[in-house]
Amino acid sequence: MNIVAALRNFSRAWRGGELGLLGFSLCLAVLIVTGIAGFSERLSGAMTQQSHHFLAADRVLKTARSIPESWLTEAQAQGLRTASVVSFRSMVAADEDMQLASVRGVSEAYPLIGELGVSDTAFGEVELVNRGPQTGEIWLDSRLMALLNLALGDEVSLGEANFRLSRALLSEPDRGGMNDMLAPRAMINIRDLAATEVVQPGSLVRYRYLFAGNTEQLDAYGAWLAPHLIEGQRWEDLRDGQPALANTLKRAEGYLLLAASLGVALAGAAIALAARRYGDRNTDNVAVMKALGAQRRQILYRYLGQLLLLCSGAIALGGLLGFGLQEILFSSLQGLIDIEIPPPSWRPFMVGAITAVVSTAVFALPPLWRLSKVAPLRVLRRDLADNSDDLLSSGLIGLLGVGLLMWWYSKDIQLSGALLLASLSLGLLAAGLVLLLISLARRATASRSQGALRLALAAIYRRRFGNAFQVASFALALMALTTLGVLRSTLLADWQMQLSEGAPNHFLINIQPNEISPLNAFFAEHQIADAGLYPMVRGRLTHINEMLLKDIEGIDAERGNVNREINLSWASDLPEDNRLEAGAWWPEVSVNGADNIAVSVEQELAEQLHLKLGSVLNFNIGGQTLQAEVGSIRSLDWSSMRPNFYFMFPPGSLEKYAGSYITSFYLAEGDKPLLTALLRAFPTVTLIEIDAVIKQMNTVVAQVSAAIGLVLLLVVVCALLVSVANVQASLDSRLHENAILRTLGASRKLVASGLLLEFSAVGLLAGLLAALGSNIALYGVQRWVLDMDGVWHGEVFLVVPLLGAVTMAATGWFYCRTVLTTPPLLVLGRL
Amino acid sequence: MIRVQDLCKTVTSGAQELAILRGINLEIKAGESAAIIGVSGAGKSTLLGLLAGLDNASSGAVFLHGQNISVMTEDQRASLRAKHVGFVFQSFQLLPGLTALENVMLPLELSGRSGAAAKAKVFLDKVGLAERGHHYPRQLSGGEQQRVALARAFAVEPDILFADEPTGNLDEHTGQRIIELLFALNSESDTTLVLVTHELPLARRCERQFVMHDGVLSEEFDNGGVATPSDSALGAL
Repeated sequence: MNIVAALRNFSRAWRGGELGLLGFSLCLAVLIVTGIAGFSERLSGAMTQQSHHFLAADRVLKTARSIPESWLTEAQAQGLRTASVVSFRSMVAADEDMQLASVRGVSEAYPLIGELGVSDTAFGEVELVNRGPQTGEIWLDSRLMALLNLALGDEVSLGEANFRLSRALLSEPDRGGMNDMLAPRAMINIRDLAATEVVQPGSLVRYRYLFAGNTEQLDAYGAWLAPHLIEGQRWEDLRDGQPALANTLKRAEGYLLLAASLGVALAGAAIALAARRYGDRNTDNVAVMKALGAQRRQILYRYLGQLLLLCSGAIALGGLLGFGLQEILFSSLQGLIDIEIPPPSWRPFMVGAITAVVSTAVFALPPLWRLSKVAPLRVLRRDLADNSDDLLSSGLIGLLGVGLLMWWYSKDIQLSGALLLASLSLGLLAAGLVLLLISLARRATASRSQGALRLALAAIYRRRFGNAFQVASFALALMALTTLGVLRSTLLADWQMQLSEGAPNHFLINIQPNEISPLNAFFAEHQIADAGLYPMVRGRLTHINEMLLKDIEGIDAERGNVNREINLSWASDLPEDNRLEAGAWWPEVSVNGADNIAVSVEQELAEQLHLKLGSVLNFNIGGQTLQAEVGSIRSLDWSSMRPNFYFMFPPGSLEKYAGSYITSFYLAEGDKPLLTALLRAFPTVTLIEIDAVIKQMNTVVAQVSAAIGLVLLLVVVCALLVSVANVQASLDSRLHENAILRTLGASRKLVASGLLLEFSAVGLLAGLLAALGSNIALYGVQRWVLDMDGVWHGEVFLVVPLLGAVTMAATGWFYCRTVLTTPPLLVLGRL
Repeated sequence: MIRVQDLCKTVTSGAQELAILRGINLEIKAGESAAIIGVSGAGKSTLLGLLAGLDNASSGAVFLHGQNISVMTEDQRASLRAKHVGFVFQSFQLLPGLTALENVMLPLELSGRSGAAAKAKVFLDKVGLAERGHHYPRQLSGGEQQRVALARAFAVEPDILFADEPTGNLDEHTGQRIIELLFALNSESDTTLVLVTHELPLARRCERQFVMHDGVLSEEFDNGGVATPSDSALGAL
């Protein structure tokens, strides 16, 4: 067949309306995939780029010793930009005063990514700069300036060298962990380091070498570097350097990937439904053509040509719209993100195009193949079987195709395998249930002589496979939607809990007992809300049930974070955001050994150490041994920014050991100057500012939340498309059935209520299955994909079936109005 | 033109074998018109399907245009139909997505003939629908649709025309006009006509009448206007 004939055929088929829905579904599939894939890819690229601000680089080499100069030369030769940072602790002196500072010597190029926040006064207005101090200059943390009573221009000495204080240092992109912030920061140029004579052989110094470049360059250099690295040297990216942030980003990426994969699956379901209708509608046409002398080959070419042209058109249009969609999505994020978005790439378009081609192949080719086998005798005998018996096999082919697409797209066999398996189980369950219900209903009414109802049920029974397919596909759509919707709320709730407005953003540690009342008075005077003062005693866990910790098998002491001195505390009441999971709080708690002290253990640690109620623990506190028995297990939220402890004791048990107090409080940005007063009043107290980190996290969370909200909206469109395709798939036979019913005397009202009832039932059933399926899927996704705790969502069992019933009834009503208004004779004559 | 030898068609329904056609013998010469009459379920349509090669016989042979179609593949039979056969159906069987003109063009295109559009227009004109060529079937009345179907059938200038209850879906008046048109076109093109019907007056317009009864075919002879074939089958009509 030549191209002219093919185009002519296509335009006729298009005019005839047979291709519309299939074309629309294909186009939407390409649009959604190109749109979501492109949006996720570019957004995640932008976010990763921005998140590298948190490292001040793309990659970091951490080491306790300086590295050979040749390593840096090699990096530069490979096209990477490099910078060096040396950190150590030392005393900073001004006049008579001295303070311990966490000093950084930085090279000219530091920071490679991101900016330093500086100011002309302590706790002053932030100004962003992209390079560190010049030689001879020193930048000091605001609180160090406050403690030493310094102003810009003052002279400061560090070791043997003197510096001029030229800036107050407010923020560094890579100021991360707590340890980094225990002592206030002083920053000098790395070239002044030698003159200080502070760094001697044997001093405790840490080196960070920063690298920036594109991924290929970084990977190539990483591979070159790997064999050179010795113990204690670590090549890190964001995931290693900033686990908390990396976790947030990983979850967001996982979510977007999941959403896009489900978008692919939903588009596939819509294409499958539309392709079936396309096949059904053409069955009679093919029979006529065959009777008129068309050979099977001619039929195949004719329809293959149509599909090919349809697919090409859908790819072109859908792809174009997909790029448009990316721009719309980004423009709707304007104001929320102030990061540079990478330009669009061809990859999402290719993903969209391949999705269309594969979907067409797996969903539209089987019906087409069946079409080519339609018996010409059908022109005389319409009751001839219409090949719907191989629905199961074509359903399986379709699922397999979508599974492969998801796998190819997500490159995550676990994720796509789980989704595929869930869809398959849900589909089979739905199909089985529907077949069972229909058979039961038919059997129940078979003996009664209610003509119309029996007729209707007989019709439903006749297309029971089609019905089962519809319920399964709609259930799938609802399940995808529910899973993504619930997941979005869970993620947001999780993030916002971490970063709620007014969450403590400063910690005070090393508070001495005699400072407690003046500190409380200070807080009261300045109306600062603190999280309560907690005593803190440093101790090390040594034995569990009389066995040395390191001798106990199956305990990863490193991972358990216990192979070090940890903070022990006591309190009379259970801390506000802690929850008892087992045992009882004092004084109700009972212990086996009458003399033992009870201790409350944090849940995750208890699991890691296999601790149970009654386990006996030995602690070494400053050389003395304390024995305690586990009296309760608590769960708590580490990200709440309140002082939290692994082990808590009852009052009266730790007081004899020398200890200090800790608290956290919230301070609005404008109240920062209060810190100077605070530090002046309590010079020995250590202040830890985490507001900058929280602010950075907030930005990322806002971006991610907005992004996944938009992507969810797209998936809603996909699910709606599935429901439309669903209704349209049965429109013809419904038209026919209802014409018969009305001819037999059924009133319009009866037919209408019957229709609504049937669609609602389909929606309800699909909703119930979706609620069940999404709960299982959610559990799996939260547990294994997003590293969160799996939670059972009971509310979806109420919401989703309702949503399903209403959506299906509304869509059904919208498309089937014609059924009620078309005169029955016209319908019967036509069919 | 059409020769049938010992044609049998049996279908299996559950464990039961059901004989629909029991040893049909028949010969229709070129240019003849023949009617097959019989009650519903007598096997008329089954016979028509076998004659046109739309279905396979259980045994026996059908010769169409001198060729034994019983040994042909489905595609070979389709190819033969494309060259020599036209169809008119009870339910018109126009493709709903195509205009009247395109419906008439369809068999011409399928058999790869040139000038399809021009030829289709000529035949639409012959059935009096020259002005309605761009209308879709749903915009045409039943009678008009059947006229388009007639144009489609005759446009390929078939040697044999099969008509299956061509007036079955039409009122009497319209049906009458369609029949006039059918026979007019038939005599004009000298086509062999095989017509399945249960209407006696229509059957009488054909040169030969065959009665199908319980899977057996017998030819009836008109005795000078006296309707004799009534005893066995026709009386039941």
